[in-house]
Amino acid sequence: MERAAQQAVPLGQMEVFQALQRLHMTIFSQSVSPCGKFLAAGNNYGQIAIFSLSAALSSEAKEESKKPMVTFQAHDGPVYSMVSTDRHLLSAGDGEVKAWLWAEILKKGCKELWRRQPPYRTSLEVPEINALLLVPKENLLILAGGDCQLHAMDLETGTFMWALRGHTDYIHCLALRERSPEVLSGGEDGAVRLWDLRTAKEVQTIEVYKHEECSRPHNGRWIGCLATDSDWMVCGGGPALTLWHLRSSTPTTIFPMRAPQKHVTFYQDLILSAGQGRCVNQWQLSGELKAQVPGSSPGLLSLSLNQQPAAPECKVLTAAGNSCRVDVFTNLGYRAFSLSF
Amino acid sequence: MSSESSKKRKPKVIRSDGAPAEGKRTRSDTEQEGKCYSEEAEVDLRDPGRDYELYKYTCQELQRLMAEIQDLKSRGGKDAAVEIEDRRIQSCVHFMTLKKLNRLAHIRLKKGRDQTHEAKQKVDAYHLQLQNLLYEVMHLQKEITKCLEFKSKHEEIDLVSLEEFYKEAPPDISKAEVTMGDPHQQTLARLDWELEQRKRLAEKYRECLSNKEKILKEIEVKKEYLSSLQPRLNSIMQASLPVQEYLFMPFDQAHKQYETARHLPPPLYVLFVQATAYGQACAHRKSSQPPRQDKMLSVAIEGSVDEAKALFKPPEDSQDDESDSDAEEEQTTKRRRPTLGVQLDDKRKEMLKRHPLSVLLDLKCKDDSVLHLTFYYLMNLNIMTVKAKVTTATELITPISAGDLLSPDSVLSCLYPGDHGKKTPNPANQYQFDKVGILTLRDYVLDLGHPYLWVQKLGGLHFPKEQPQHTVITDHSLSASHMETTMKLLKTRVQSRLALHKQFASLEHGIVPVTSDCHYLFPAKVVSRLVKWVTIAHEDYTELHFTKDIVEAGLAGDTNLYYMALVERGTAKLQAAVVLNPGYSSIPPIFQLCLNWKGEKTNNNDDNIRAMESEVNVCFKELCGPRPGHQLLTNQLQRLCVLLDVYLETESHDDSVEGPKEFPQEKMCLRLFRGPSRMKPFKYNHPQGFFSHR
Repeated sequence: MERAAQQAVPLGQMEVFQALQRLHMTIFSQSVSPCGKFLAAGNNYGQIAIFSLSAALSSEAKEESKKPMVTFQAHDGPVYSMVSTDRHLLSAGDGEVKAWLWAEILKKGCKELWRRQPPYRTSLEVPEINALLLVPKENLLILAGGDCQLHAMDLETGTFMWALRGHTDYIHCLALRERSPEVLSGGEDGAVRLWDLRTAKEVQTIEVYKHEECSRPHNGRWIGCLATDSDWMVCGGGPALTLWHLRSSTPTTIFPMRAPQKHVTFYQDLILSAGQGRCVNQWQLSGELKAQVPGSSPGLLSLSLNQQPAAPECKVLTAAGNSCRVDVFTNLGYRAFSLSF
Repeated sequence: MSSESSKKRKPKVIRSDGAPAEGKRTRSDTEQEGKCYSEEAEVDLRDPGRDYELYKYTCQELQRLMAEIQDLKSRGGKDAAVEIEDRRIQSCVHFMTLKKLNRLAHIRLKKGRDQTHEAKQKVDAYHLQLQNLLYEVMHLQKEITKCLEFKSKHEEIDLVSLEEFYKEAPPDISKAEVTMGDPHQQTLARLDWELEQRKRLAEKYRECLSNKEKILKEIEVKKEYLSSLQPRLNSIMQASLPVQEYLFMPFDQAHKQYETARHLPPPLYVLFVQATAYGQACAHRKSSQPPRQDKMLSVAIEGSVDEAKALFKPPEDSQDDESDSDAEEEQTTKRRRPTLGVQLDDKRKEMLKRHPLSVLLDLKCKDDSVLHLTFYYLMNLNIMTVKAKVTTATELITPISAGDLLSPDSVLSCLYPGDHGKKTPNPANQYQFDKVGILTLRDYVLDLGHPYLWVQKLGGLHFPKEQPQHTVITDHSLSASHMETTMKLLKTRVQSRLALHKQFASLEHGIVPVTSDCHYLFPAKVVSRLVKWVTIAHEDYTELHFTKDIVEAGLAGDTNLYYMALVERGTAKLQAAVVLNPGYSSIPPIFQLCLNWKGEKTNNNDDNIRAMESEVNVCFKELCGPRPGHQLLTNQLQRLCVLLDVYLETESHDDSVEGPKEFPQEKMCLRLFRGPSRMKPFKYNHPQGFFSHR
């Protein structure tokens, strides 16, 4: 009876379920391997897929080379953020950060190296980790997310050294100001806060939504993305995408983009941003829209520029978001192809 | 010194006397021996060391005397001769002494030899004895090893284990106090017990043998009795036939049915046999439970037997139907010469001709609804078709949207994935169709029934798919292997359809019929209401602007059923386009959403709409409710209402707009937003009643 009942389940069920899973997949995070030839992408089911950029970009690329070379279940919840050190891939999702050895991943033996949980206050829900940031000079990993704090973890010992409190809602994003070791964080409360790493104190707060030029109340206050190149900071989210002069903390350029942006980055003399909508937007610093390159996902959540000097042939821009596909842009002009889960 | 020597001289003299008298020994032994003994006894008395001293001294004396004689002689002189004479006498004495000593030495030597000899003989004797003893030892050792190696017969006997022995054997055999410490006694006792037991068993065996003998004899007797009964029974049966006919006894019917079954074409026959067998097997399985009203599966044969018989009348082989019919065709054309169109039409009819007999299968479900299946065999196409009809125990008020649910055309569609029953499964048919100008079987399906693949398999027909596999033969094992699965699927299908039917009736009136065992899935207060539930056409579905993803993913085939639901709360209207797979509820209905509130929101421009879709589409498993999960659709719709509530209540309030919020937050949420895509807390936690993030 038992066996027959199992047989009675039509084969189509699995396929339909897989199709639905793919359809509702969101890729939250990407990270390029230290060798620059591989790209890791993490989705909302907690899986991490490793794509071989070099194989997909080679002249004899087939359809299979655009599929992941290995996929493994990394977390129970979504994989919100990933970074790569020179040996490890660090992934974070629901409350935990896990480390994987790149060398082992590429050999398809995916066993976690370690896992750490920041010291949370007890609550019903485990706070998520939305952003990871590496501070290479001090060998620090900064985690931020659901519990409104920045946690600093020493990568050497794996201990949590200090926590920065100040945000009143959860933190979306982090950015490192390299020249003076300062970390910027943007959160749901609409504030961008600057923290001095040496004193572990808050040095500056920019409440973006309070500036009329960029505030958009119907979208909310939240800051979804930010990037900095020391003097300048660009941030967006509920408020419009805005370029700020940090020392004077004044908005200099408001970029005319209606949709909330989820990822922004400086690239050469351009600013690349992505968010709701299919396109990767390229901006001049003056606020001019230089180009909009359409991708294949209805909404984008992360951009990744592969600038590893080790693999110049794999120098690409990848974008992922509300689909199971990772769009690959070989130059900034058009989408070359998509990698797919 | 001299006195000593003189003392010695006397015996010497006696001895010297004795020595020449040796020849006389034989004459007077005792006297002689007495002397001899005295001499030999003397040897014992004398010390050899002193004798040696004496000998040396004597030799020196002799040398000295010789030297004096020499001296005297060389000097010459008259008086020298006297002196020489004197000296000679002295030397003679000395010689005597030497002789004596020589004799003594000889005696000693002889004595020594004797002693040695004696000792040697003793040693020899001892050696011999030793050898004898050694030999004896060796022999004994050999005997011992032989004894040790001796294998007793009893070792080959399997004895009962020790514990068992002490437990079971009577104490007069086991004698525990003696045998516990003594393994030898113990073994003996065990052997005794074994013997005892074997004796008993042998006794038993003998008894059994005699018993068997007895029973055999009885059987023989009974057999004789039975064989004598057979003719009597036959006569009774003969006599009872009219009564049976009169009373419609099933025995007769079954018999007749089997009779009729002989005229079934092979595939239908296989189906008939397997279905009957399966039905009986199920009835047997159920019989252990409280008696059920009647069988779950009943099989019958319909149609005219005479026609079937007539088919077999022509001497041509019935398998060669096609050539047969072709020949007939030619005859008719010769006779009537009809117009080309009519001729082609006739040919088509001939081609699609069904066997006059069909098999009727009634599958009864738990709630007394019955699925009637009629199986036909298309002789010339060598395929089987099925027509289905569902009857329910109670009259159903058919909701408009449920039109297709139980229609004979679609009720069995895609029982197995992709088996929509619109195409002929026999690849050979295409050529036959070409000949008579039939494009596809699809146009005739309503009339003929659906040639589903599973129907062919039930009939034991196996057709090659793409690659050559098997030849088309009717195969009992193929049918048997599919029977149970298919029957189960059929039952599930009917039940799920009936369940949907019931749900649709409520849904059309805007009521989401959540059953009491699913209440825990939803909060007590749900404000959003279902206001519309209508069926839509496949084409309309594909033309909707928010269903593109589903169509592109290939999840919107034309075998599915399509519906549109509208959920409302205040000014917010949520459209949900639903794809209902025929494989419901193992394959979930798929929802695509479009919210009209402050602009149009779909999964393209709102992550939370996307999340809501994935809540109902991907996380459907938690909504299945109790097995077999036919309540899934209702639960999904209710869930959608809850999701809409959460969506609207957690929408961030626009500070710039005056006035109160349209939807005040009533739900308990841990956090409003979470993660990079700012998800709302859609997950409902049952007993506590708050919402959290997935």
